[in-house]
Amino acid sequence: MTQLLSPQAAVPVTDDRLSAVFLAACRSEWTKLRTVRSTMWALVLTVIAIIGLGVLLSAIVVGHWDHRSLSEITGFDPLLYSFAGLNVAQLSIGVLGVLVMTSEYATGVITLTLGATPQRRLLLGAKVVTFSAMVAVVSLISCVTVFFVCQALLASKHAGVSITDPGILRAVLGGAVKMVLIGVIAVGVGAIVRHTAGAVAVLFAILLIIPGLVQLLPQPWNNDITLYLPSSAGAAMSAVVHFPNLLGPTAGFLVLLAYAAATLGVALVLLVRRDA
Amino acid sequence: MIEAEQLSKRYGTTLAVDGLSFSVEAGQVTGFLGPNGSGKSTTMRMIVGLDAPTSGTVTVGGRAYGAVRFPLHEVGALLDATAAHPGRRARNHLRWLADSNRIPRSRVDEVLAIVGLTEAAHRRVGELSLGMGQRLGIAAALLGDPAVLILDEPINGLDPEGILWVRHLLRSLAAEGRTVLVSSHLMTEMALTADQLIIIGRGRLLSTGPTADFIEKSAGHHVRVVTPDADALVVLLRDKGAVVTADGPQELSVQGLESRDVGILASGAGLTLYELSTQRASLEDAFMELTREHAEYQGTTHTPEAGHP
Repeated sequence: MTQLLSPQAAVPVTDDRLSAVFLAACRSEWTKLRTVRSTMWALVLTVIAIIGLGVLLSAIVVGHWDHRSLSEITGFDPLLYSFAGLNVAQLSIGVLGVLVMTSEYATGVITLTLGATPQRRLLLGAKVVTFSAMVAVVSLISCVTVFFVCQALLASKHAGVSITDPGILRAVLGGAVKMVLIGVIAVGVGAIVRHTAGAVAVLFAILLIIPGLVQLLPQPWNNDITLYLPSSAGAAMSAVVHFPNLLGPTAGFLVLLAYAAATLGVALVLLVRRDA
Repeated sequence: MIEAEQLSKRYGTTLAVDGLSFSVEAGQVTGFLGPNGSGKSTTMRMIVGLDAPTSGTVTVGGRAYGAVRFPLHEVGALLDATAAHPGRRARNHLRWLADSNRIPRSRVDEVLAIVGLTEAAHRRVGELSLGMGQRLGIAAALLGDPAVLILDEPINGLDPEGILWVRHLLRSLAAEGRTVLVSSHLMTEMALTADQLIIIGRGRLLSTGPTADFIEKSAGHHVRVVTPDADALVVLLRDKGAVVTADGPQELSVQGLESRDVGILASGAGLTLYELSTQRASLEDAFMELTREHAEYQGTTHTPEAGHP
């Protein structure tokens, strides 16, 4: 038989400002993130996708360099191959972002989470901030690493660029910021849909299926709409050369930011309104 | 202290909780009883702010739960013991809860010891037995050392030793002056644990008050008699206004007379008694009596009927 309780009220909380509630919620969310295996695996996958694919493609390009026609090289974006992995990494980050919310509903943990932090807007804010910070660190390290490795490979063909060249630093940072914004959209979709399979399906539809369907529309609608899709807006953020089918980097950032803000806005309203 | 006033919850066309008013006092164990689907869990979810009432209010310590910052220091709840990520280790499950309310990590090991899970703290939640999961849920409720405890079916899946442990735990929590609201469908356990009862059916309050009063009032008691002279005794008892039912050829169940009166009556007429005893109703009997007409999903004994289409 185990012993019973300690005396009452052992740990009074003196600072109960909302900022303290928010910080505690962030700390709690961080503990949650790092104590399940899915986080680690999704991040490993993300790093492998960004660095592995970028280096692999760059190595292939370098290997076939002498056979390439001049016209191909003229329109060559020095970061195109370096950041090819971002398209795969956005899916692993997206799934992880969805799980931030849906795993709580699937396991019933949401009842404990909201019981511990009934301030629901603040709670979702803490989830988004904590997850975004983690994604930002992992993506930034991956993007910077893949940039330097790939440019070292391309430098052997005198096709490399330096981080100090115009637009390059912005594109490297843009790649990481894009991952963060996709992650925020994913958390929002997870909070809205609440079921893992459904939320992942919605997210993949947004990132993969809708762009393909839009291409089937008649000219010029297909290209006009494609410009403003989240996937294209994200791609624009890490482009160095101007592609006719992409917005500029700043416009791309603003469009993706608007998607993230809108998704999060809907998620906040629904989280407050609906029963847990 | 928990106070509900005209609390109602509607899901679509179903009125799950219907104008419920009650108060749960400190220093006592209050049992929350009702048939399946009577609205117990919905009520508990509204107390901790998970579901918003359609109308009415419920407060804990005078405040709506949603208005409390760091509420685990005031209210500990166990609503669903399976509510934990199966891949997370037991200790980590308590750690994130502790972090969210600025409860020191040392308290995590303390509550693990209280519920007897110190040895299993490193195990993943998915590897815990049903009973251990239940203990982990209770540990989570105790984490903030709260003055109010709300436990939905805390003894589900526990072995007899565990059930005894929960009974002692709840009683000592109440003895420390805490408010303890506990639901269970195990009546015998409730009769042993609860000082007060709140009984609901179909979302409405059916009865509230001390456990002992409820049993006495609802089902009363009867006198069991075993006698070879049953027929003769029945006539005498009915003359005195007692309600008698035959439980067997020699066994009678008498209501309306005390066993003393039955004994005097029998010896006066020279009748032999093999057995004479007062049968107290159980909480189960009283509960069944009260909720018979309120049960949402009452089991029906299927009798073959003629003329089915």
